[in-house]
Amino acid sequence: MFLIFALLTLIGATVLTFQRNLVVAGLCLVVTFMGVAGLFLLLANPVAAALQIIVYSGAIVVLLLFVIMLLNEHQEEPAQKARPLQRYLSLALLLVLGAGVFGLVAGSPVLRRLNAGALPPAMTLGALGDALFSQHLLGFEVAGLLLLAAMVGAVALVKRDL
Amino acid sequence: MTTLTSIASGGLQGYILVSLLLFIVGLAAVLTRRSILLQFMGVELMLNAANVALLAFARFRGGDAQGTVFYLFIIAVAACEAAVGLALVVGLYRHRRSTDTDRADALKQ
Repeated sequence: MFLIFALLTLIGATVLTFQRNLVVAGLCLVVTFMGVAGLFLLLANPVAAALQIIVYSGAIVVLLLFVIMLLNEHQEEPAQKARPLQRYLSLALLLVLGAGVFGLVAGSPVLRRLNAGALPPAMTLGALGDALFSQHLLGFEVAGLLLLAAMVGAVALVKRDL
Repeated sequence: MTTLTSIASGGLQGYILVSLLLFIVGLAAVLTRRSILLQFMGVELMLNAANVALLAFARFRGGDAQGTVFYLFIIAVAACEAAVGLALVVGLYRHRRSTDTDRADALKQ
């Protein structure tokens, strides 16, 4: 089950990276976010999985697809100038990073020790609400204010003349 | 060998590996693509990779609600970032008639 969701996530992301059509890339993003939500479910965290589906694959991807279709730029335009060296250098850098990551994860004694510990019970909405409204109430209110500020900012940026 | 079985069966190493690989793919999208919308998608992928690592560590280190609370705040900030970022993309398109980042290389027209 873990392998299915992990592959769904990584394949969605890889197809997105090499996709020509922007609308198809947005749909690949949905697949990736669904895979991540599945990973959250396997981490015994259904609250985070629900939030992931509602906020990411719901709100953010819909907003992104709206902008893609509004701007009417469904294809990336051809390059102004060829940059073969940078292209291969970036791919080589990413391959080195990938190999380094694999070695780091496989050789880490801390991860092995954490993995051997006993697993806690699943996260519930009640536990989340208790922690949120008893210890993080100020942060919750600030998040609300931040959302309001972002909404006003987005409208101010897009509106032609205020 | 035990590490490989732990990765394949959904141990902590598997989640961290998926998270780091997702981050690298997102970085590849930001580095190699020219459309600013695709770069935005790459940024979202990197943010999601960080979330996967956060919640995996939260589960394997005791599983109290603090990790999920932080995830809630991160998701609120991500929604703000998406709204403002896409407004900036629309503003850029209005100025340059293009979403190609190679064209937007001057501070003034």
